[in-house]
Amino acid sequence: MAIGEISESELKLFIDSIINYFKKTTNNEPKITSAYLGTQDITGFEFNGIVNFSGSYNGQIIVSMTREILHSLLIIQEEKNLSDNNLLDITGEIANTLAGNARKTLSSGFDLNISVPTKVKGYKIIKSKTRQHPYIITLSWLNFSAMVCVDINHLHI
Amino acid sequence: MKLMIVDDSNVIRSRIARIASNHRSIKITEIKTVPDGIQAIETAQQLNPDVVTMDLTMPQMDGLETIYRLMKNHPDIKILVISAMDDKTTAIRALQLGAIGFLGKPFSDEELLLAFLDITEA
Repeated sequence: MAIGEISESELKLFIDSIINYFKKTTNNEPKITSAYLGTQDITGFEFNGIVNFSGSYNGQIIVSMTREILHSLLIIQEEKNLSDNNLLDITGEIANTLAGNARKTLSSGFDLNISVPTKVKGYKIIKSKTRQHPYIITLSWLNFSAMVCVDINHLHI
Repeated sequence: MKLMIVDDSNVIRSRIARIASNHRSIKITEIKTVPDGIQAIETAQQLNPDVVTMDLTMPQMDGLETIYRLMKNHPDIKILVISAMDDKTTAIRALQLGAIGFLGKPFSDEELLLAFLDITEA
């Protein structure tokens, strides 16, 4: 078994997926403000959703968002319950959506598994678990900031 | 029509319920929402739903297993899968198990409504 870097096109999947999420859910596309290799620990935002990959890819993706962006996302969806539980819920759902959508292109079927999302409240220090340096995608939507960390590798079996 | 919404996201359950119940051509008499497959099977025994929306990635029991078990006991239920796992293999598997519709996440309100109308008229 060998470990391979994910390619630029594979990384682009996650960029397209987060843009599509906002476009479909809010009719308003986010602006991708940067995409880079995170060579140091990075402080994320208050609400975090994490999905683990196993099988033909190994690692995790983390969606990290501010309270303000999540409030707006819930209000647009006509959700009246703006509790922290629901802010965490939607963060996990976004992570799950990005991972599920990526699976369609990364996998030919059941050889790639994704976990149910883990949700973490608190300013998370994003540390690499799989790659030496994870990819960081930052975005802005209605002037609010968010971040997606792609920390996965391809396993060649 | 009795509707059961199965999804581990509280926000998604509320959103589906709102969209389905706000449309005048969908006559819903009762809606139950549950966060996982085990509760879906228990609730289906009491509710006997006509239509089920089903997420696939859930704790306790995933959506494919839940569809299999629901269809064994309630073969007339119409199941619409609503999932981010929208690859072809997964969609075919869900349809083989008895689902009659598949909608990928993320979805717009209009897409959900159309998918819902499709399966309720099927």
